[in-house]
This record gives sequence, C-alpha cells and structure tokens, in this order.
Amino acid sequence: MGRILLFAVLGLFTAFAAGPFLWVATMSVRTTTEISLDHYAWPEKWHWDKFPAAWFNSNYNVYFENSLLVVLSAVAVLTVVGAMAAHCFARYRWRTNRLLYFVIFSAIIFPPQITIISLFQILVQYGLYNSLVGLSLVYIAVQLPLTVYILESFFARIPSDLFDAARIDGYSEWQIFWKVSLPIALPALATTVILNTILLWNEFLYAVVLITDDAKRTLPLGIQRFMGDQLEDVGMIATGLMIAIVPVVLIYAFFSEKLIQGMTAGAVK
Amino acid sequence: MIRTGVDRQPWGAILAFLLPAFTVYTALTAYPVLRTFWNSFHKVLPRNEEYLGLANYAALVQDEIFWRAVRNTFTWACISPLAEVSIGLLLALALYARVPGMRFFRVAWFTPVLMSYVVVGIIWVWIYNYDWGAANALLRWLGLGSLVQAWIGDPKIALPSLVFITTWMWSGFNMVVLLAALHSLPSEVIEAAELDNCGWGAKLWHIIVPLIKPTLLNLLVLSFIGKMKIFDLVWITTKGGPLWSTETVSTYLYKRAFEWTSFDLGYPSTIATVWFVIVLAAVLALTWLFRTRDRLEY
Repeated sequence: MGRILLFAVLGLFTAFAAGPFLWVATMSVRTTTEISLDHYAWPEKWHWDKFPAAWFNSNYNVYFENSLLVVLSAVAVLTVVGAMAAHCFARYRWRTNRLLYFVIFSAIIFPPQITIISLFQILVQYGLYNSLVGLSLVYIAVQLPLTVYILESFFARIPSDLFDAARIDGYSEWQIFWKVSLPIALPALATTVILNTILLWNEFLYAVVLITDDAKRTLPLGIQRFMGDQLEDVGMIATGLMIAIVPVVLIYAFFSEKLIQGMTAGAVK
Repeated sequence: MIRTGVDRQPWGAILAFLLPAFTVYTALTAYPVLRTFWNSFHKVLPRNEEYLGLANYAALVQDEIFWRAVRNTFTWACISPLAEVSIGLLLALALYARVPGMRFFRVAWFTPVLMSYVVVGIIWVWIYNYDWGAANALLRWLGLGSLVQAWIGDPKIALPSLVFITTWMWSGFNMVVLLAALHSLPSEVIEAAELDNCGWGAKLWHIIVPLIKPTLLNLLVLSFIGKMKIFDLVWITTKGGPLWSTETVSTYLYKRAFEWTSFDLGYPSTIATVWFVIVLAAVLALTWLFRTRDRLEY
C-alpha cells in the first residue's frame, strides 16, 4: 500500500518535471493549425519538415553556428587558463597563495550587474562590442572562478610525491603540469568542460547586452527574437525550442553522471 | 644551511601559471567592478562624463521602482530556497529507500536545470496562457474552473507564478545533491534510529536533518545567490510587468541602462553598486549566521 502511494508520488512528480518538455516535443512536429484545434493531442502526422524550415528560414543555422563558436572557443581557453591557475594554487606554497585564490574565488558571488555596464563600455571602447570574440572573452572571465574552484579542489588531492618524483626525473615545471597533473585530472577537466559548455550555451544576460547585430546572435537571443517575430505561430516556436534543447539533451544523455557531478560540486561538503 | 631544489619556490613558474588567469580577472572582472563604482558618482553619456558627487545615490533612495524591485527580488530569494530545498529533501527521502528505477527518476528530475531560462520561460508562458495553457486546462479538467487565472497577467499573482517556475526548475537539482549527501551517511545511524522505533517525522527532524545540515545550508545559500541574480526568466516572461509586480533589480537596471532613452550609464551603475553591496552583505550575513549556529551545536 505504502509502495503504491510512493510510486504514485514519484510518477506524478516525473510528469510534472518532464511533462512540459514532452508537450513542446509533440508541438514541434505539429502545425499551428493542428495545435490550435487541440493543444494536447498526440501528433497525427509528424511534420519533420518543420525542422529544416525553422533552421533555414529563421536564421537558426547562423545562431547555432555563433553559439557553437563562442562556447567552444571560450571553453577551450577557459579550461587551459583555469587549469594552469588551479594547478599553481594547489601545487606551490607561498605566502599570498590563499589570498590570491580567495580574490578569484570570491567573484563567484558577484552579481553580474556589477560588471555588465562597464563591460559594455569597455567592449565598445576596444571595438569588441557586437563581436563574438568580445563575448567569448567575457564568458571566459565569467566562468573562471567556478572553473578554478572545481579544479583546485581536485588538483589539491594529487599526492605531492608524484611531483617530486617527476622533478627528480628531470621534468620542468611546465612539463609537470602538462604531463603529470593534467592527465590525472582528466575526470575533473571533463566535468568542468561539460558544465561550462552547458552554462554558456544557455547564457542570456551578457549576450543580450553585448550583441545586437542579428548576424552575431547566439541561440538564446535567436530564440527570443524568433518568439517576438512569430508570436502567434506556436508550432514554429516549439520547433525552434526543440533545436535549442536537443544538443543539451544529447550531452546530458552521454554524460549525465559527469554533469550531475559538476553541477553538484561544491554543494556537497 | 643547504636548501634543496624541492624547498625553493620556482617564482618564474608560479608567475607564468597565474598570469593568464589574472590578466583575464583584472581586465574583465576587477576593472569593470571599479569602473562601475566610478560611474556611480558620474553622469555617463556616450561622449562626456560629468561629476555628480552623491546625486545618483540621493536619487536612488527616492526611487520607488528600485525599492519595489529590491522587495520583489528579496521575496523571491527568501521563498525559493526554502521551497526548493524542502521539496528536494522530500524527494530525496522518497528515493533513499532504493526504489527500483531510481536512476531514471534521478536523471529525469534533473533535466529542467539544464535548460536555459529562455527555453523554460517560453514554455511557461504557454503553460500560463489563459485560454489554452496547461495550468488552466488542468484546473478546468478537474472541475475547478473558478480558480482559472491570468497567471502572469495579474499583478497580484504574477510574482508567485514566477517563483513557482524556479521551484519547478531547481527542486530536482536539490534532490540530487541531497540524495548524494544521504547516501554518504553511515547507514548504522539511520538503522539505529529505526530500531529505536522513532516516528518518521522525528527521525527526519532529529537525525537526518542535523546530519546533512552542512549540505542543506549550502543549498540554501546557493539558491539564494541564484535568485538575487535572476534576469533571464523575468525578461522572457513578463519584462518586470504587469505594473512592476515582477520587476527585479536586474531587469530594472537593464531597462535604465539600455532601454530608457536617457542614455545615462551613471545612474544604473549606482543601482549596480548598491545592489552589489546588498548582495555581498546578505551572503556574508547568511554564512556568518550558519557558521555560528554550527559551532553552538557541535
């Protein structure tokens, strides 16, 4: 009896958590005319052709490509820069070590508003406003504290004997980082890469302030514009939403454990 | 004294490792923060800047919309953590007993967190649609037609409706974290409680909650910080309306900086500076509060 009740609760909550996505998925393959007859019907005819239509007619290919460029370049740089700093904080002992670490770490709680206006001014000043390079640079700065935080706690657990052995073998400091630290930290690196990819893929505030040119829009901005343009065309917007959701779901399907680890890092002490 | 190479610090290497990170940090975090402080004492137009002293701050104190936004944001940041963490805890307890298919539930409930607020916002605009949205459709289907609402169109309930969205989004995340915390507990403790035959509620309150308290507090603070920053969701769903009922500090700042035709970046910088101080103070206060409590108990 208790078990049936438990499963009823679990089932209800699952419907509540996942239902909205299922609903959007059904609408994405139905035409708006069909949808307006019954918003909750199962698709009778699957209109897959709506996907290429959204992709080509609404600039989605451009938005997608922009997002891909910005996110991948930002994550690549972020991982190397963050790993270097984290390795340094975890590996070497000097007096201002914790102070410098705290300086970077404390930026985690900064509300984005405190930098957004000046970032806008700075990027305009240096001709990086409305540019994907500018947005990538900002993204690197935004995600740096979290990246250093996750990686540092991992690097700190590598036994220092390993480094001493490498040094006796004649490795330089750089080689120790590149050939000893990084390979061991691969799982942690993977976590930060996946986490940063998803967070930046979804980022909206910095993008909306720093990008106005339609050809430079990232996917979240594209969706917003798309919604503004096609206000009544629910079916088409649903298709657009699915295009944005699918990459995230794919990453999630392959790396769900890694991702959950990354998202929950730091929350569990 | 002979110093071996192992003891001496390779300053060159340290500098080289930290340089890229601190260049990025200085140029795109520290400098912008200081520049925002500087802006807040000026009128900042595209071509000229004018020193105003504390005039912006004086105006801010009088700015009713700003204080409305602060109230809304704080309401959100105080209700959300409690709702998310308690629902998350109940769900985690439901799964704790190693229910078959636990992995599936865990993965399914985590999904909303991965979606962008833009996607989530659009979906919920539809769910809250008066004529055909799922919320009203469900009420009509249950025969509760009298409860049908314009969920995000009515100033009285727009903010609670948005808070509900973030609760929907983040409960699963809290569940996953708490489940990990529960599984890391020594099982003897919980078994002992079962032997003592204490009631379900007592077991939860006197044994489980104190044991996972650090995790609970972390989640509360995390959720609090997240809601103090909230922008995207509001921007997609209501843009702060109707009648400023869902205006948050972020949306108000964005409007003043980039939508109003005053073109002045000084006043919005004042908003940012004051808000920065408030957020920092709130987070420090929370951390301090939770720390001292811990010390009292252990």
